[in-house]
Amino acid sequence: MRLETRKASQTFALGPSGQVRPFAAENPIVRFAGVTRAYGSRVALDDVHLELQPGELAFLVGPSGAGKTTILKLINREIRPTQGEVTVAGIAAHLLKGSRVAELRRRVGVVFQDYKLLPRLTALENVAFALQVADLRISDEEARDRSLDALEAVGLGDRGSALPHQLSGGQQQRVAIARAVVAKPPLLIADEPTGNLDQQTAWEIMDLFSDIAAWGTAVLVATHNVEIVTRLQRRVLTLVEGRLVRDQQAGHIGRMAWLASS
Amino acid sequence: MAGILLKGRFPRRRLIQVVATNLARHVFGSAARNWARNLAGTAPALGSMTLLLLMTGLVGLSGFALYNLEQYEAGQASLLHIYLRDDAAYQDVDSLWDRLSNDPRVASATYTSKAQALAHAQSIPGLPALADASGSNPFPASLNVQVKNIDDMGAIDGMVRYELAVDPVTPTSYDPGAYKRIQQVVFGLAVAGIAFLCLLGFVAITVTANSIKAAIHARRDEITIMQLVGAPRWMVRGPFIVEGAITGALAGLVAGMVTFALAAGAISAGSSGFTQFAPGVTVATVVVAAVGVLLAGVTLGSGSSLISLGRHMET
Repeated sequence: MRLETRKASQTFALGPSGQVRPFAAENPIVRFAGVTRAYGSRVALDDVHLELQPGELAFLVGPSGAGKTTILKLINREIRPTQGEVTVAGIAAHLLKGSRVAELRRRVGVVFQDYKLLPRLTALENVAFALQVADLRISDEEARDRSLDALEAVGLGDRGSALPHQLSGGQQQRVAIARAVVAKPPLLIADEPTGNLDQQTAWEIMDLFSDIAAWGTAVLVATHNVEIVTRLQRRVLTLVEGRLVRDQQAGHIGRMAWLASS
Repeated sequence: MAGILLKGRFPRRRLIQVVATNLARHVFGSAARNWARNLAGTAPALGSMTLLLLMTGLVGLSGFALYNLEQYEAGQASLLHIYLRDDAAYQDVDSLWDRLSNDPRVASATYTSKAQALAHAQSIPGLPALADASGSNPFPASLNVQVKNIDDMGAIDGMVRYELAVDPVTPTSYDPGAYKRIQQVVFGLAVAGIAFLCLLGFVAITVTANSIKAAIHARRDEITIMQLVGAPRWMVRGPFIVEGAITGALAGLVAGMVTFALAAGAISAGSSGFTQFAPGVTVATVVVAAVGVLLAGVTLGSGSSLISLGRHMET
């Protein structure tokens, strides 16, 4: 069964500080409302407003230290905002107690630049491990079946018994993606997922993200890969010094794209 | 209306079985594997905890013996021995015994003959040789008066010490400061023992907490993944608490066995002398102490892990 994807129909307005503020559909998967995050006296994120809809693939771009990773950490409730509200899949992440963070994280798949696979487990076991530690009610057979399905979906159905060191970087990242989506979360976030990969493999990974988004999962990718971002013509959120300075909608790419963004 | 009842894919028993299997694998199995893998890092914690628990067992048994000794001395403190002259007339002894028995301050008054005093002395370690060395029986007959209120001891002593039947050289066993001195010594020993155990406990908890900190560091990727895929907090922390409990249980087992061996060995070697030296310490008491040491080990190990987790693991 193919999930219906829903395109975001958004209008934009300028916020009080001159930043882009999108007003979007009613049930966004991610919603930032006036979010500021400071580390001591350094402001990592400054009054950010954004919404991400189900089935949407969006890129977070900006120079190092612009606040991309901070946004991902706020979504996954690794940190709390200093000000503002963060809502993820209907959960108010900014209010969530430490003891209940797991509830939110079961709804968010995460992919890292360095894959973070457990080296002594096979590809299949890595995926099944994530499934079972998040839900003890999942039997070995069910975990194995679902993990195999996820590995097949990322093109590694025949490499389930391989240990991470026996796989290429691209294959390891595919295993990490399989692990992130095996529990069918409504949101997938990725922090520089192609940072360690060559351009060809990076395209394959991005194709995977596009496929995942097409099946209804919102995907937010923080990246430096300008070529991919430019050619994919998806939504692009540009951060500079903690401020969301541009929210460019899908398809509006090119020299005149600024006309659509603000 | 008739219908078909379909059983779910996971009947309750199957679900319980699955949850139990996953718990055993991801909490207990994982803890046991990691404990074995990190044995070199855990060894100092294991050693210090074993030492602490062994000392706890031995100090605990000594404390129990001291408590019994103190209770015995408390009983003895209200028992006044009135030593009689060897040539005392029966009438004088009877008269004194009657007066004491009828005194409202006295709970009971009994008579011990010279022969009974000698027999009693021969049952006390060290005294048989003394009794045998002397050609004649050196132990006097006595009236043993149990006083109702310990504060009346001085008055009764004053009443009887100049009686005709009473030995003028050593009239009674009354020693006004004896019981207080014993209480002070027992209190001092208890404070010293508790302070010593607190110091050892601090060292053991610190060393164990550090070994758990090292274990957390060694498994940080696994912890990160578990946290990010939404494993509940207790499941991320559970294996470390079980690891600490394993360390504590092993230390407790060794310490308990050594405590039992030492105390049981002392009981069998000292026989009657041991009961004088450490009243109330029997094989049953030693078994209870050994089990207590084991349980204290499990509590200490898992408690130290909890402290370390609280300080070093982030959400």
